[in-house]
Amino acid sequence: MKNSFDEKILEEANDWVKANQKVVLATVIQTWGSSPRPTGSRMIVNENGDFSGSVSGGCVESAVVRECIGIIKENKLFKKIEFKVSNESAWEVGLACGGEIAVYLEQVN
Amino acid sequence: MQLKILQEIIKKKKNKSEFAIITNLESGNSEIFELGKTISKDFEKYSEKINDFYKNKKNGVIEDSNIFVETYIRPIKVIIVGAVHIAQYLIDYAKSLNFEITVIDPRGYFATKQRFPEMEIINKWPDEAFEKIKTDSSTALIALTHDPKIDDPAIQHALKKKFYYIGALGSKKTHSNRCERLKEAGFNMNEINSIHGPIGIKLGGKSAPEIALSIISQLVAETYKK
Repeated sequence: MKNSFDEKILEEANDWVKANQKVVLATVIQTWGSSPRPTGSRMIVNENGDFSGSVSGGCVESAVVRECIGIIKENKLFKKIEFKVSNESAWEVGLACGGEIAVYLEQVN
Repeated sequence: MQLKILQEIIKKKKNKSEFAIITNLESGNSEIFELGKTISKDFEKYSEKINDFYKNKKNGVIEDSNIFVETYIRPIKVIIVGAVHIAQYLIDYAKSLNFEITVIDPRGYFATKQRFPEMEIINKWPDEAFEKIKTDSSTALIALTHDPKIDDPAIQHALKKKFYYIGALGSKKTHSNRCERLKEAGFNMNEINSIHGPIGIKLGGKSAPEIALSIISQLVAETYKK
């Protein structure tokens, strides 16, 4: 079997929508190097910044949450963002593991 | 993603369908891909590639395109024979994994609603129960009663249908007796050796949740070997 076991994040997204929350799906669509989570990994974020699931091992989740809140505020439907190896000299968001990932954000509408 | 597509996906997962979600990263459109179904103009050009991803159960962006494919596999059918203490924990673990569990136990005092509030236990002998369950080489069996008259018919059925995983609870002695009986019943050594007995990977624990964990770990490992 090549595919991973499903994490049931989409079911949770639907529950959030039912509770009148605005929801953004964030999905890992590409990876390079030793990225912590495989393509297809997903997290969901609402307008308050609550989130569930993951797109990395905790390295970039906070930035993804910010971006998701951003697209809800701007009323954008989708956006693609990329994360690269973290810069040692700064406390900026990045993947400490040295990998690179592309994450696709899409608002449930 | 449109809410109606999200809800359609959830429905398909519930119905245990096999499908893929295809997304055009440029337009933001996404739809559900299924074998034999036509796809919209947004994706038509890539139908061959999408098919490849689907067949190989691969997730990713199609090369030189803006099309992202995410495939979903059907939950794996796991038959547990014996509505025993360990089975209660196996059901708990299976909730967070992609396993669809069916429990068979002919003993009415085990197969009660009070013990298994969230699921229907098939209160029948394995032979009769299997008449109504579709099984094949992508099914798994966990035999937990260590009672030959309940476990053996289920194991024989699983061997005949070539289940990808057959595990049977019991000590080494219990298992060697079991192997003898299967030999007498006409099964060859290859078939008999494919049974995981004593069941589970070595964790060291002896409590019901620990044994359930060792069984589910072995089952996951064998599933990825498939």
